[in-house]
Amino acid sequence: MAEPNTNRMAVRRPSVAEALDALFDPSTIAVVGASRTKGKLGQAVLALLKSNGYRGKIIPVNPSGGEIEGLAAARSLEEIDGPIDVVVLATPVGVALDALETCTRLDVKVVVGVTSGFSEAGEDGHNNEMRLRRIMQDAPFRLVGPNCEGVVRPASDLQLTFSPMFNGLRPGPVAMISQSGALGGLMALRLGERGVGINAIVSSGNETDLTAADLLEYLGNDQQTRVVLCYVEELRDGRRFAEAAQRLTRAGKHVVAVKGGRSRAGSRAVQSHTGAMAGDDRVISAVFRETGVIRARESVAAVDAVTALAAGRRPAGNRVGIISVTGGLGVEMTDLAESAGFEVPVLAEATQTALSRYVPFYGSVSNPVDLTGVVLANPTYVGRCLEAVAADPGVDIAIAIITFVPDQQFIEALAEAFDSTGKPILIVWTGSARSNASGEALRERAVPVYDSPARAASGLSALAATTGEVA
Amino acid sequence: MTPRETLENWQRAGRKVVHEADSKDLLQQIGIPVPKRDPAEGRCVAKLCHDDYPHKSDHGLVRLGLSPQEAKQAAAEMAERFVGGTALIEEMEEGSVAEWIIGCKRDETFGPIVLAGPGGILVELIDAAEIRLAPAGPQTAEAMVDSGPGARLLAGLRGAEPADKGALADLISRISVFFAENADLISEIEINPVMVRADGKGLAAADALIVLAPKANEQENLT
Repeated sequence: MAEPNTNRMAVRRPSVAEALDALFDPSTIAVVGASRTKGKLGQAVLALLKSNGYRGKIIPVNPSGGEIEGLAAARSLEEIDGPIDVVVLATPVGVALDALETCTRLDVKVVVGVTSGFSEAGEDGHNNEMRLRRIMQDAPFRLVGPNCEGVVRPASDLQLTFSPMFNGLRPGPVAMISQSGALGGLMALRLGERGVGINAIVSSGNETDLTAADLLEYLGNDQQTRVVLCYVEELRDGRRFAEAAQRLTRAGKHVVAVKGGRSRAGSRAVQSHTGAMAGDDRVISAVFRETGVIRARESVAAVDAVTALAAGRRPAGNRVGIISVTGGLGVEMTDLAESAGFEVPVLAEATQTALSRYVPFYGSVSNPVDLTGVVLANPTYVGRCLEAVAADPGVDIAIAIITFVPDQQFIEALAEAFDSTGKPILIVWTGSARSNASGEALRERAVPVYDSPARAASGLSALAATTGEVA
Repeated sequence: MTPRETLENWQRAGRKVVHEADSKDLLQQIGIPVPKRDPAEGRCVAKLCHDDYPHKSDHGLVRLGLSPQEAKQAAAEMAERFVGGTALIEEMEEGSVAEWIIGCKRDETFGPIVLAGPGGILVELIDAAEIRLAPAGPQTAEAMVDSGPGARLLAGLRGAEPADKGALADLISRISVFFAENADLISEIEINPVMVRADGKGLAAADALIVLAPKANEQENLT
């Protein structure tokens, strides 16, 4: 092992902001465990980093040296000259800990530990966990993870993960913090499919050093962030998390959180009613409500809420105008909206007159508007009707419900209607998979599109409530 | 002695659950109204307070509607049966329009919290408590008495007199501040019920309980 080189040693532990600034816009990334062998974590990390177009310096680290993925590999971290912004650990746990120890002697800002085998492994991981904590005690760098899926920052073409679930995301207003990599992947994929842009994703793993509260504070304060989506199982510094969330929501940003893990029964005898009444789950709901956090019951509902909030349009009130190409879906949407506390009022006379140019006598121009299948005859009719409803002064939020779509113009007319107003618009498109049209015009604008009235209702609740719970 | 010193003394003495009489003495020191003690006339309640029997009714340690003379007798009888207890004779609270529960505890995730909702026997019936982070400032405390199904009860259901929400909010804020400042020594405080009188007439803590936190060295042993 090389002699410790004091000249290269960082003077002190970087602050959370210093470390994360380096993490999200790094000049140099070293991938420990980079490999030529398909199926290995380090191979996947390196391949994804390259294929997603990262433009900074990538240094594979592998004891056999040579060239990996067309890049010159270092045999060890110590062989690398100059500062390293990010070191990714993607090796078995023993090697990873050795490398982490080496980092304490180098000029490293942040380490991303993809490696598993620590506290999450129970008894077997105990010794590794102890060694990890010892190294981190006065390490001159910060750590994301371990046991995490990595970090993604579309604006920097940065894809520090072994999972392809985060591919092809566009930059945008949503920041995501997930203690579960897989749930992060699921949520990212679905947001991406809807065209919702991503500012950053951090899979925080075991949170040995950087916690969800650290990340919430940092990502929430980022000007690009409008909505922070969190999946948490255990909040180590819950008070700080709640306080950070409150600051963000008071500043007009949104925090949507899913809290996983069943509430544990109290381990000690309950002496008072307070203990029994203030169970874990009730306290979480109460504190989230108090601090303005929207609690989603599960990850897909969270995505639905975020989809609506990411569009950045705030409703002035709770009056919903609904148009539908079919009566039944309009009725279901109305029921769901009303039971979520919204009004579905009769539309203004002028709006009804405008709609009656398109709607046959057996449809309905009140609210919900039943356009009937006749409107499918002209591809722009539904778009026009949506424009008319959104322009109604008695409507704060407009919802358009469509089933299958015969051609592309139809979708483009809906996108034009979205552009015609500043009011929130939600689209329920039940038949996207069976339609002769792509939703690209909607995705480009990140128009909130849902596949059922119930999913749209989750978005609706998030929009108007901005606090409370979505199912 | 400051309330904090009292708490430290109790902890040092190895107490875990502090009985009603002592808990009320402490609450009175921080400005929480309690019923008049040892009244010379009127209807009384006699209780035997003992750290080992926090649920007094289950052990027949509460006697209601007694004359002062009867109360003394009842207290003496109970004290004989439960050695080491403290007899408590108070004026019976009869003018209240609502019974409330106020509780504070340290949540594992979020730290000190405060809870308030319909108390007394309603605790067993409905789960309508409002929960907030402690300390709860005056505005938060006001929001707590104005939120949830309990707010309708306090406003006066079907012609009933509205309750003194101001006094209740003041109590919530006061106790949450005290708890948050001493959460290292206390793991729970509960007042159940607090008898809330009609608007402008205040309230009184009819029963109270303080659960002390384990001593620092005992906490280590637990983990």
